[in-house]
Parts: sequence; structure tokens; C-alpha cells
Amino acid sequence: MIKPTVSELLSGVAISLRERVLPEIPAGTTRRQIQAAIGIIRRVALVWDKTGPYLYADNQDLEETLRWMLPVLEGVVADEDNARLVAVSTKLRTTLDRSTQPAGPYPSPEALGARNIELQGLITELQEVLHENPAAQSASRTEINSMLRALLRRMLTRELEINSPAVKP
Amino acid sequence: MREAAHDAVRILSERLCDFIQAQVPEAQGVEIGNLSPLTAGNTRNAWSFDASWTERGSTHTVGCVMLRKAEAGQLETPLVPEFEVIRALWGTGVPIPRAYWIDPEGKWLERPAFIMERVAGTSDFPTLLKPESAETSRGVAEHLVEVAARLHTVDWRALGLDFLPATSAATAAALQIEYWESLFRKHRMEPHPAIVGAFIWLKEHQPVADRITVVHGDFRYGNLLYEGKRINALLDWEMVHLGDPVEDLTWAYRALWSPAGVMSLEEFAERYTKLSGIPVRPENLLFYRLFNEMKHTVISLTGSKSFHDGRTRNIVLADRASTVTSYLIQFFDWLPQQDLGKAS
Repeated sequence: MIKPTVSELLSGVAISLRERVLPEIPAGTTRRQIQAAIGIIRRVALVWDKTGPYLYADNQDLEETLRWMLPVLEGVVADEDNARLVAVSTKLRTTLDRSTQPAGPYPSPEALGARNIELQGLITELQEVLHENPAAQSASRTEINSMLRALLRRMLTRELEINSPAVKP
Repeated sequence: MREAAHDAVRILSERLCDFIQAQVPEAQGVEIGNLSPLTAGNTRNAWSFDASWTERGSTHTVGCVMLRKAEAGQLETPLVPEFEVIRALWGTGVPIPRAYWIDPEGKWLERPAFIMERVAGTSDFPTLLKPESAETSRGVAEHLVEVAARLHTVDWRALGLDFLPATSAATAAALQIEYWESLFRKHRMEPHPAIVGAFIWLKEHQPVADRITVVHGDFRYGNLLYEGKRINALLDWEMVHLGDPVEDLTWAYRALWSPAGVMSLEEFAERYTKLSGIPVRPENLLFYRLFNEMKHTVISLTGSKSFHDGRTRNIVLADRASTVTSYLIQFFDWLPQQDLGKAS
């Protein structure tokens, strides 16, 4: 069964709650709770179909950027005597060596989400390790930081589509 | 359902009677009237009531507001410092309700709570942001500058507010970063590399405060009671601390409630410096604008986590995490271009 889709179903529920239920509820705590619930249902209805593609695109970007970054990072590792940096670099290579889409041609949003959290964790760890020694400036570090900054901004732009979706007129 | 609500009001009314009786031992015939809930905040539930009693032959009637700690919310801050600050600031020229009594453990009122004077006015800020309210809003903004200047020039040591966590001009920013980052680490539900990157930037760009003052911590439209163009009371002191006063100014100008439509931040800062003698340096201004985006981010993540963990059933908090993306985008958009390529 395809119709009604989850998005259509949730949109309909939100409309019914807003038009039929809300007017029956007097101002106060209960009304505010119902209004908040309607807002959440509307958002979920708008983004339900986008979640899988969003995670897929995000993972692709994260992996691609990290792949570009890896040789530069390995250059930093060679220049600096830093065990934590070696560990992060090794972890990065191992994680990227694993298949991008391990669960067949149509990975579930759950599998994509798990991979996304894994990649997010890597970026977080990398930033923290680089921050441990901010005095160690080099062209390679600058390049990595620029790539990270641009990546974070792209991630936020994608995330905004999911968290604050534009409502169709 | 309605009967249950009615019972709850009756029980609370009895509890309030007993509590006030204990606070004012010489009171006779304590009565509570017009008890009703006010708009529920996310961390404190407010109730309005009138209390009356006879004491040494004379009758007393006071309009009161009780702030009672909510179940887990966006922040879990203790009530005692908030109450003590309100009590200490009474009479200093900072518009503030008179603080009456506190039940710090919730022994009398089920949950920790304090009672203060009911002050006239409205806290309705969406109206202030409408173009048709521009004249009123301008007046309120002008008074807000005066309130900020007064609050930030009170002698907090002389008022006995040195029980608030100590800080210095050099460490004020660090202390705030540490506090909010630790909350973030405690409440995040995923790694959030953008937030980690933002905190790293803040740590690497801490400004020195011109001086240490009382910082309200939630200084903005929405947390003040106004009548016409005058502010009658500054409310919601749960994030009060000692720190850099610029934190309050920049918080007041966050996009969600900013009075920039009627007074630019530059004009606000200029007037403020004239009144208070406290300079507002560009580096402090930028730092705290960025910092406040992170502060609100962490508050929102904390609210979502409380709901997710079942510590609160307040649906308003359930999806707060989805609001942080726009704060983070604002953060990254405000970063100076010359810092691109430095710390991530």
C-alpha cells in the first residue's frame, strides 16, 4: 500500500487537530500542548519522505570530504609527533575503507543514520585533537580546518531542510 | 478532568495557607483567594493569588505570584540563588518584584517554590515586535537600556551577591563556555560536530571583560513586565550569574526577540555606555553574539533531551532540538572571514 503516504496521513491528522480539535480547547496549558503537538506532526509530515535522501547525501558529502582530507591529515601526522593524531588518522582510514553503503542498494534510514553518527563522531574527534595543540600551525592544518569549516556549513544547510522545512503555500 | 483540576487548586490553596502561616507566625486567619495558573514557563510554573491575614489587629492583603519548579525542563537551575538575587536587588532601582518567602526543598508546596509580589503589566513581547507597536516598543527599549545600565552598575559585593560563582575579567568568558559546554556534552544525543567546532572557536577567542557585574542571563523582551512604555519588573532570573555585562546586551538582541526594529544594537550600546560608563567593545560584542547562539542551542538540546528521557512530558520541549540548526547557521555566518581556515 502506498496511498495515503505517511506524509499525507500526518498532514491530514495535523489539519484535523487544528481545525476540529483546537477550537474546542480553551486557552491554557492543554491548548499549548496540543498546538505544540500539531507543530511537530506538521514538521514530521513535511520531512518524512526526505529523511532517507538527506542522510544519504550527508553521508556522501562527509565521506567524500574526509577522503580528500585524509592525505593532508597523514601529512600532518608525519610532521608532528602526536599519538592522538595518529590514532584519529588511523581510525579515519579504517572507517572510510568500510563500504559506504553496506546494507545493499537501498539502505534503511536506520542504517544511514548509524553511519551518519559514526562519521559525525570522526569529525568531532578530529576537531578536538586539532584543538589540543592550536599553536601547531601549518599549511596542512589550515587546509584541514578550511575543509572542515566548509563541510560543517554544508551540513547545516542540508539539516535546515529537515528541521525547518519550507511550507508549501 | 475538571474536578481533578479543581481538587489540585484546592489542595495547593491549603498548602499555601499552611506555608504562609509558617512564614508569618503571628498571622491569623490566613486566606488564599483567586488562585490561578499563569502562563507556564519551561522551567518554572507560575501561579497568581491573593493572600490575606490579620496580624496584631491589622489586616494585610498582598497580591502574590508563586514560581514553582517544573518537572525537568530546558534547564535545571536551583531556586535559592534566584530568590536571593531578587531579594538583594529590591530597592536598588532595578525594577524587580519584592521577594517574600521561599520553600527551597518543596517541603510545603510539593516542589521547590518561592513567592514574590505580583507586579502589574504584561510580558507579551510578540505585540512589541509588531510594526503598529513601534512607538511603545521604542519607549520600552529606551527604558530597557536604563534597566541594563542600572543592573550592571549595582555594587553586587555590597549587596551580598558574592555567593554567586566567582569569576574575573579574564575568566568570565571561560567560565560560561565551560558551563554551557558541559551541559551540551551531558545532553547531546549525537556528536554534533558543528557545535563542537563552535565551542572550539569560542575557547580560542575569549575576550576580557571590562568589569564583572551581575548578569541577568535571560535579559530580553518577554522577560519583563511592561505597562505602556515603562518596565515594571524584570523577570526570570534563573540564569543569573556574575560575568561580562555584554552578555546581557547581546542576548537582548537575538533575532527571536530583538528590538532592533526600533533601536539598533549600536544605538542601544551607545546609550548604555553613556548611562553606565561601561564600554562595549567590538570583540566582546561579537564574542557574546556568537556565544549566545550556542547558549540557546544548548538550552534547546537540553529541553529535547528531558522530553526524550521522560523527565518531562511537556510537548513544547519535545522537538526543540530541531530549532538549533538556524542558531548554528547564524553562528557560522557571523564568524569573521579572516578566521576561516584557523580553528574549525
